[in-house]
Amino acid sequence: MANPHTAARLGPAQEAGTWASKLPGLILLVAGAVVIAAMQVYFNDYILTLASIVLLNVMLATSLSLTNGLTGLFSLGHPAFMTVGGYVAAILTYPARRKGFMMPDLPESVAVQEWSLLPSLLAGGLGAVVLALLVGFPVLRLRGHYLAVATLGLIIIVKTLVNNLDGYTRGGLGLNGLPQLTNLWWVYGWTALTVWACWRIKHSSLGRAMMAIRENEMAASCMGISVVRVRMTAFVLGAFFAGIAGGLMAHLITVITPGTYSILLAFNLIVMIVIGGTGSLTGAVVAAIGLSLLSEFLRPVEEAIELYGMSQVILALMLLLMLIYRPRGLFGSSEPRWRWPVWGKRQ
Amino acid sequence: MLEVSDLHVARGATHVLKGASLELRAGEIVALIGGNGAGKTTTLLTISGLLRPRAGRITFRAEDGAAHDLAKLGAEQIVRAGIVHCPEGRQVFASLSVAENLKAGAYTRKDRDGVRADLSWVYELFPILAERRQQMAGKLSGGEQMMLSIARALLARPRVLLLDEPSLGLAPQAVETIFEIIEQLNGRGVTILLVEQNAQMALEIANRGYVLQNGAIANTGTGRDLAADPNVKKAYLGMTQ
Amino acid sequence: MSAYVLQQILNGLTLGSLYALVAIGFSMIYSIVRLINFAHGDIAMVGAFATLGLVAVDAPWPLTIATVLLTGGLAGITIEAVVFRSMRGAPQVTGFIATLAVSVVIQNTGIMIFSGQPRNFLFPSVMRERVALGPVTISLTDITIVTMTIVLLAILLILVKRTRLGIGMRAAAENLQVARLMGININRTIMAAFALGSAMAAIAGLMWGGRFGQIDPLFGFIPGLKAFVASVIGGVGSLGGAVLGGYVLGLSEVLFVGLMPSEYSGYRDAFVFFLLILILLVLPNGLLGRSAEERA
Repeated sequence: MANPHTAARLGPAQEAGTWASKLPGLILLVAGAVVIAAMQVYFNDYILTLASIVLLNVMLATSLSLTNGLTGLFSLGHPAFMTVGGYVAAILTYPARRKGFMMPDLPESVAVQEWSLLPSLLAGGLGAVVLALLVGFPVLRLRGHYLAVATLGLIIIVKTLVNNLDGYTRGGLGLNGLPQLTNLWWVYGWTALTVWACWRIKHSSLGRAMMAIRENEMAASCMGISVVRVRMTAFVLGAFFAGIAGGLMAHLITVITPGTYSILLAFNLIVMIVIGGTGSLTGAVVAAIGLSLLSEFLRPVEEAIELYGMSQVILALMLLLMLIYRPRGLFGSSEPRWRWPVWGKRQ
Repeated sequence: MLEVSDLHVARGATHVLKGASLELRAGEIVALIGGNGAGKTTTLLTISGLLRPRAGRITFRAEDGAAHDLAKLGAEQIVRAGIVHCPEGRQVFASLSVAENLKAGAYTRKDRDGVRADLSWVYELFPILAERRQQMAGKLSGGEQMMLSIARALLARPRVLLLDEPSLGLAPQAVETIFEIIEQLNGRGVTILLVEQNAQMALEIANRGYVLQNGAIANTGTGRDLAADPNVKKAYLGMTQ
Repeated sequence: MSAYVLQQILNGLTLGSLYALVAIGFSMIYSIVRLINFAHGDIAMVGAFATLGLVAVDAPWPLTIATVLLTGGLAGITIEAVVFRSMRGAPQVTGFIATLAVSVVIQNTGIMIFSGQPRNFLFPSVMRERVALGPVTISLTDITIVTMTIVLLAILLILVKRTRLGIGMRAAAENLQVARLMGININRTIMAAFALGSAMAAIAGLMWGGRFGQIDPLFGFIPGLKAFVASVIGGVGSLGGAVLGGYVLGLSEVLFVGLMPSEYSGYRDAFVFFLLILILLVLPNGLLGRSAEERA
C-alpha cells in the first residue's frame, strides 16, 4: 500500500511503500543469522569468541561514529561508559548467595537480586545513560580537544571511583567468574540493532541535525536546531550502546576490572573510525572488522617473536599514515555509492 | 623596482586576484585603492609571501641588479630582501613590550650598531613610543599602535614598504601625523606601496596610483590625474560631480 | 600551621616542581602550534630510561644530565618533524589524535624494548637521606628536584625574555602570520620550542624516576596528562601560567591526599581530573591565561 506522501518524498529509484525499502535490510539480517548459525555448528569456541569480540567492536565503533563522526563531538569516553555498564550488569547477574560476601556494601535489596542477561544489560545501559546525562551537561559545553581531554579524564575518574568503592565493586581485584551468558547470538542481535539504529538515525532529521552541527554550529542554531539537545542526544545514545557492549563483553570474557576498558581501547576505537572514515557507518563497520582481525592475527606473531606491544604500534602507525595521507579515511563521511540502490536513498 | 605581472591569487575557494599587474619604481609612493573585497590586502599578502599565487610573477630588482621572483621565495627571504609588509589592523604583538616589538621587527638583522641607530631614529620619529617603550603593546591607543606597527616595520630597514590601510580606525589628527611620516620616509628613500580605503589622502601624497576592481587593475595614472578622474571621484572619493 | 601540614606543603612543592617542568614544555609547544602534545609525558619516560642506561655504564652525573636533555630535545624535534609538521593545517581534532597515536607508539616501543615490568630507579642512597629543617624533614632528592627546577626555569626565562630566539617564539605564539612578516623562520622557531620543551620533560622524567623509585614504559602518560591539567590551571599557552599551575596542582594534589581522611587517598587521580573539568568550565583561560580560545 503506497502512502502518497512518502511516495512523493522517496526518489524514483525506489519503490514506494515500506515493504520493499526494508527488504534489503531484512535480507542482510537473515543472511547474517544464517552465517552465525553455520558458525555455531562448524567452528570452535575460540573462533566463536573471536567473532563475538569482532562484532562488539563493530557495535562500539558504529556507536562512536554517531557521537564523533556524525555530530563532531570529540568524545573518548566510551570506555568509561563500558565500565559503568559492565559493572552494573555484572553485579546484577552475580550469584546472589555470593554477592553479599563479595560486595559487602551493596544494599540488601540489590544483593538478593540475580538477574538474567537481558535485564542486566539494560540496567547497565541505563547506568551509562545516567552517567552521560550527569556528565554531559557540563562537559559538552567544551569543544574540540578540550572536550576530548575532559572525556579522557572521565575514563580516569570512573576507573578511580570503581577502584575505590571496593565495597560495591571489589575494587582492584575486579569481578571474575562471571557467568558466561553472552554468546554469538546475543552479540549479533545487539550489534545488528546498533547498526540499524545508527543507520536510521543518520538518515533521519536527527541525523541531519547532527551533521549540520558538525559542519557549522552557529548556522545550525540559526536554523532552529537546539545544539545542546542534539549533542546531548548523540552523547547519550553513544553511551547507551557502549554500556550494553560493556555488559556483553564482561559476560563473554567473564571478568571485569576497573582497568579492563582503558584509554588504549578508546584509542583503538578512534583508529577504527578514523580509518573507516569518521561519519561513515559502513566505514566504521569495515574498519572495526578489519582491524580487530588484524590485531588478533598479529597477536601470535607478537608472542612468537616476544615483541609485546608490536601490534599496537602497527595500529598506531596505520592511523598516523592515514591521518597524514588520507585524513578522510576510507569512506569519508558518507556511505559508499553502491549501497544506494540497495537501501534506497532516504530523503 | 617591483613588478607584479598578471597575478592570480585564490583565498580558499575564492579567486580574488584575476590577473592584476602593477609596477613600483624606486623612490615612488604608489597608491592602491579600490573597494572592499577588491583584493588590495591580498595583493600585499602575496608580495610579502604569506599567500602563494596560482599564476603570475612578482619581480623584484635589487640594487645589485639581481632579479628575484618573489612568488618563489618564502616570507622570511622576502623580508631579508628588503620588502617589509606592515599589516592591516596594526597587529602589534600585544603581549610584548614596545621595545620587544621593535626588536621583533629587527629579527632578520645582524648589524647590532645599525639596529641601535635605527632604534634611536625611530624613537625620535615617534616620541610617544620612546616614552612607552617598556609598556605592553596591547595597552597602547589605536594611533600609538599604528605608529608602533610602522616603527616595527622600519626596524627591518626596508627598501620597499607595503602599508596596508594605515589610516583605518584612526582619529583625523592621528591620520595626518601618519601620512606626514609616510612622506618623510619616502624622502629618506623608502619606496612605498600604500593600500588605502581613504583614497583622497592616499592619492594626495602618491606619485602614481592604481585602482583595483574585482581583482584586476581598472585604472592607473598619476596621483593627481586619478584624483581628478570623474569615475574615481564618484566611486571612491564620495563626490557626485 | 602544624608540622604535618608543613611537611605536606614541602612534598607538594616537590611534586609541583615536576609538574611545572613538564607543563612549561606543554605550554611552550601549545602556544605556537596550538596542539596538545600527548606524547609529551612519554618523553619524560624516555628521559628516565635514558638515565637508567647511562647510569648502567657509570656515566658521571653532569654527563648524564646533559645527555638526557639532549635526548629529550632530539625526541621532541623528531616528533615535530615526523608528525606535527604534517598536521599543521589540519583540524584541531586530527592533530590531537595524531599525538595520541605517537604516544601509543612510544609507549609500546618502550614495552617492546624494555618489557612492561617496572624497573628500579634509585638515586645513590645518600639522596634518600632526610635532613631536618625545623619541624619538618626533607630528603636530598627533594631539595635537588626543587633546586634543579628553579635553575632550569630561570634558564628558560632568560632564553625566552632576552634572546632573539625567545622573542621569535613569543611573537610566533601571539600571531604566527605577522611573525612571518618579521622574517621569523617559523619552522626553526617551532623546532626550538619542541626541543626546549621536550628537554625539560626528559629531565623531569629523570627526577620523577628518582623520586618514586620505579619506572615502566607506561609511567609517563598519566603524569603527562596531569601536567596538561597544570597548564590549563595556569592558562594554556602561558609559560608563567604553566609554572604556577604546576605548583598549584602539586600542592592541591598532595594536600588533598594529606588532609582528607585516608580512605579517600585513592581518589587523588579523580580529584585532579575533576579539577580539570571544573577549571575548563569555570575559568577556561586559567589563572593567567590571555586571549580566549574556543573552549566553552
